[in-house]
Formats: sequence, structure tokens, C-alpha cells
Amino acid sequence: MSVVAVQDVSKTFGTGHTAVAAVEHVSLTVDAGDIVLVMGPSGSGKTTLLSMIGTLMRPTGGRILIAGRDTADLGPSQLSAMRLREFGFVFQTFNLLSALTAEENVMMPLIAAGAGRKQARMKARAALEQLQLGHRLRSLPRDLSGGEKQRVAIARSLANEPRLILADEPTANLDGKTGRDVTLLLCQTACIENRAVIIVSHDQRLRVAAKRVVTIEDGRLTAEEPGEHDQHCRMHAPEPRSHENDR
Amino acid sequence: MLFLALKNLVQEKTRLLISVGGVAFSVLLIMSIQGLYQGWSNKIGEYIRTVPADYWITQTGATDMFHTPSVLPLTVGERIATVDGVAAAKPFSGRRVAFEHNGRDINLYVIADDTENNVGAPARVVEGKPVPGKGEIIIDRVVARSENLRIGDSIPLAGRTLKVAGYSEGGYILSFSFAFTTKEDAESILQLPGATNFFLVTVKAGSNAGDVAERIEADPAVDAITKDRFVENNTNIVRDTFLPIILVLLLIGIAVGMTVIGLTIFTSTIEKAREYGVLKAIGVTNLQLYAVVVEQAITAAVLGYLLGAGLALAVSAAAGSYVPEFITEIRWWDAGWIFAVTVAMAVVSSLLPVRRLARIDPAEVFRS
Ligand SMILES: Nc1ncnc2c1ncn2[C@@H]1O[C@H](COP(=O)(O)OP(=O)(O)OP(=O)(O)O)[C@@H](O)[C@H]1O
Ligand SMILES: [Mg+2]
Repeated sequence: MSVVAVQDVSKTFGTGHTAVAAVEHVSLTVDAGDIVLVMGPSGSGKTTLLSMIGTLMRPTGGRILIAGRDTADLGPSQLSAMRLREFGFVFQTFNLLSALTAEENVMMPLIAAGAGRKQARMKARAALEQLQLGHRLRSLPRDLSGGEKQRVAIARSLANEPRLILADEPTANLDGKTGRDVTLLLCQTACIENRAVIIVSHDQRLRVAAKRVVTIEDGRLTAEEPGEHDQHCRMHAPEPRSHENDR
Repeated sequence: MLFLALKNLVQEKTRLLISVGGVAFSVLLIMSIQGLYQGWSNKIGEYIRTVPADYWITQTGATDMFHTPSVLPLTVGERIATVDGVAAAKPFSGRRVAFEHNGRDINLYVIADDTENNVGAPARVVEGKPVPGKGEIIIDRVVARSENLRIGDSIPLAGRTLKVAGYSEGGYILSFSFAFTTKEDAESILQLPGATNFFLVTVKAGSNAGDVAERIEADPAVDAITKDRFVENNTNIVRDTFLPIILVLLLIGIAVGMTVIGLTIFTSTIEKAREYGVLKAIGVTNLQLYAVVVEQAITAAVLGYLLGAGLALAVSAAAGSYVPEFITEIRWWDAGWIFAVTVAMAVVSSLLPVRRLARIDPAEVFRS
């Protein structure tokens, strides 16, 4: 069973003259271990599609199945629970909680899902160490570099061991090399743990991290080609290093 | 999610200080006035409780020592003494009398210290003579201190001059205080020839008190009031004076507290709207988010309560030693209901921010 099955999905904002068809008749299936890069020009509907898959927005047409369950059948609290346990989110602007340390940010979804403080802390530490942030556990977001922040966000997205990670322009606020490294790290981690990843980006260089690359134009999927993940992922896994130059 | 609430609070220290300070102010206000009320209520009852009587016999219609005057001829007492079941009926004379001192009116409640009948003695004499002699008066230490009256000073009362002979304690109530003279001096000051104000009745052992009271009240000129009832009636005078003030200050306190918590929590929620949106997106439920906001409000309120209650205790202790009229008693029960009001204040103030929270659209988090 696919992790995500998008079936003939459309999204129209507004009605009448002002209606905007942001996504039109898109179908897409993502399986466990898939790393899908969604590319397309600005305004082509990438974020809208990702929001619908992430159950933050309901489609105006078609169906979205998550692990076989039709999201249209689920109420707000069931969707919340699904997002908490099945999805990990990574945002362009990192979106860490400013009052919490790196470690606490990662603990957050664990605690929300009912984990005890101790257990959450242990898991958060392990996740951050895996992302080479063992030395930054106690740092507040304002003291972290962009790359570090995004890695904390990735650790947070992985905390509840989700089936699917959704990332919208995760590299847009990072310099080229850092962005690539962080994305490779995300994809490598997901690949090892057999999680599905959907990344939305303009950034052609992220092809190296993806197994599949789909193109969306004017709300429609226009092409799909294989990515370069298999050639690059393990080879290019970044070495543990100090990050003094990626601030 | 308490840890997020605490972290959010600590992150914004100025805001936290403002909300804690605002709540502390209202708790201080409410607790102090309640303490004063309770302190004065107790004082007024304290003296009456020391007077030995099962029943206070008053002129019909008089229910306490202050409101309606009660004057009874001594012959009434003689008659009551013969009622079946009455062990004794002793006269008790006392009334408010004012005099001028250094241009100020001072109100005394002059009580006849009837040594013969062992009625009307001061509860405690702390300095000077324990029993007033002819032409002498024992006044409350609080008045002595606040009006600068010393032992040996003269007081003009109802056309006579009395010499301060001692200080008693525990008889200061609101706007007047108990003072004690000999029975003879009291009779002339209170102008009660052949009369008194009340009779104190003790019931014979083995007699049913209620039946005895009924037999006494067969005389339409008198009422028989139990001691507890009489204490309560007198205490109610303090209550009637204070309740409106307490209510007004309570409302002011609540308004201040709620405004301060409400505003600080609301601005904090608005500033953090994006973060709450992120939490919604990653699957934190609305209920969990409400809890974060309510917990912040309650935590600030509890801190404010602790500070305010501490201040109230300190203020009442300090003020009590500088200003003797400032008699406070802060009971656990009062501390309890004020705490409940504080927490309720926090919960109600969170309603607006919670409504705001409910409207945050998590899909917004993908827009930068
Ligand atoms: N909430 C909304 N209301 C109305 N129109 C919207 C809304 N969200 C998106 N749109 C429109 O839908 C279209 C697709 O927007 P979307 O944000 O999905 O594009 P995108 O591919 O993510 O663009 P970018 O690369 O700039 O982020 C755009 O024309 C946009 O203006
Ligand atoms: Mg977008």
C-alpha cells in the first residue's frame, strides 16, 4: 500500500471571476522509501499540493489517501493525530519555537503525542546527534545558524518516526552548499529508515537527493523523471564537521 | 504541555513581571481589605464573648449594642430575676459617648465596671489600674496611642472630667473603643438614674434555656437574645459597613487583575501566533494549545497571588505595629477564596486569546 495516493486532486481558491485553479487533476503515488522532488515555477501550485497532502487544506476535487485512508473521511482531531504521528514537516523558514532549546523543540511533538519527558529527551538527543547537533542541544534557535536550525527542524520532523516527510523549499533560506548538505542529510536519514519524503523546491541541485523528480506547471503535473539519489546519496553524505561557516 | 507554557513565560520576562505585578496588586488589595474586615469583626465579638451571660435582655426592638438604644428600668431586672429558671439577671450599662480632644471627636463606648455584680470589666488591662476608681477611666491602648492620651491625662465626658487610670486591650472597633468607669460614674455619664441598658441573664443548670427565654419575653417590654446571636448582631454592624467597600475593592481588584493578565496573555498569543500555527500544523490539537495559553495565564496568576499574599501579610504585620487601628486577620478560608478568584481571573482572561488561537489557520505556516 502506498504511503500517499493523490487521485485526480484539484484545488480552486475562491469562486466566480476571482477563482484561481491552483492545482488541477493531479495524481501521484508515493511509496515508503520514495524521495520525490516536486519542481516548478513560482505560483505553479507546489505549496498548495503539499498543504493538501499534509492535510492542512482540503482539496476541492479528487481524493487523497494516506496509508490507504481517505483523508476526506477524517475529522479535524483525527487529522491532527495523523499529522502528529504519520507526518513530519520541514519549512522554508525553519519555524522553530523561539522559547525552546534545540532539544526541547525536538521533544515537542513527542510530548504532544504523549511521551514522557525523559523518554522524549532521550529520543530528541539521539535524533539531534544523528544530525550532528549533539553539541547544540541546549542552544536557543536565535543562537543557531540557518543550517543548524534546519537540521533541528529535520530532527523535529523525524521525532515521531513518521511515514512521510513533507518539506517546502527547505533550502531557500540557506546558502547553496549548506542547503544541499542539509537536504542530503534529510534524504539519507529517511532512506535508511525507509520513510517517504516529498520535497518542493526550485533548487535544481536538490535532484541529487531525490529518487524521483516531478514537474508541476500551472497546477498540472507535466513530467516525471528519475532523480540522482541512488548515485549520490551515500557518497555525498556530509562528513561530520564544525559549522562555523554556514551562519 | 506545561513546559512550553513555562518557557514562553520565562522568555518574555518583562511581560511576566507586568502580569505578576498586576495580579499581586489586586490580591494585595482584596486580601488586605478582607483581613481588616475580619480583624474588626473579630474584635467586636471578642469583648462581648467575655461578658458572662446566656441571654442579653434588651428593650424590645434593640438587637445590638449600637443601633437602637436600649434603656430598661432596674425594676425590670428585679422582675426577671424571679422568673422560673433564671439564676441571675445583672444590669449592664454601656453607650457611645463622644468627647473632643485636640480638636478631634473621639468616640468611646463607656461601660460601667460593676465590681459588685462582676459585670462590665475590661477584657484585659495591660497597663495602669485594673479597676477604675471614682473619677477614673480605663481606655483602650489603641486610642491611647493614636490620640496620644497618657495615664493621668484628663478626659471631659458629658460635663464631667475623668482621669485616665489604665489601658485595656482588645476593645477597639472601627470608629470607637470601649472605655470603663465605675458604676456610679457611668450612671451619671450615661444618665441612667434607676435604669440600665441591658440585663445579663444566666440560666439555672437543668433549666431549658429556650423555655426560660420565652417566659422572660412574656414581658412585652423586653427581648431575650442568646449570647451567640448578640455577638453576631453586633458583628453584623462591621459587616454592613464593610461589605460595600469590600465589594467595590473586590471588583476593582478583579478588573485590574483581569485586564493585566488578559492584555499580557493576549499580546503574547498574538506575537506567537505563527508558532502556534506551526504547532497546529505538526499535529498539536487545539485543546493542547488552549492548555498552553491557560497554563501561562494561571502560572502568572499563581505567582502574582503568592507575591500579593506575601505582601498582604507583610503589610498587615508592619502596619499593625505602626498603626494600632490596623487590625487584620487573614484566615485560611479567605486566602482560599481569593486564590480561587485569582485562578478564575486567569481562566476568564484566557478566553479571548483562546478564541484567537482557534482561528489560526495552520496552512499559513507554508507561507513565509
Ligand atoms: N489561500 C489562497 N487563496 C487564494 N489563492 C491562493 C491561495 N494560496 C495559493 N493561491 C494561489 O494559488 C496558486 C499556487 O500557489 P502556490 O503557493 O501553491 O504556488 P507555489 O508553486 O508554491 O509558488 P512558490 O514557488 O512561489 O512558492 C498561486 O496563483 C497563488 O496565488
Ligand atoms: Mg510555495
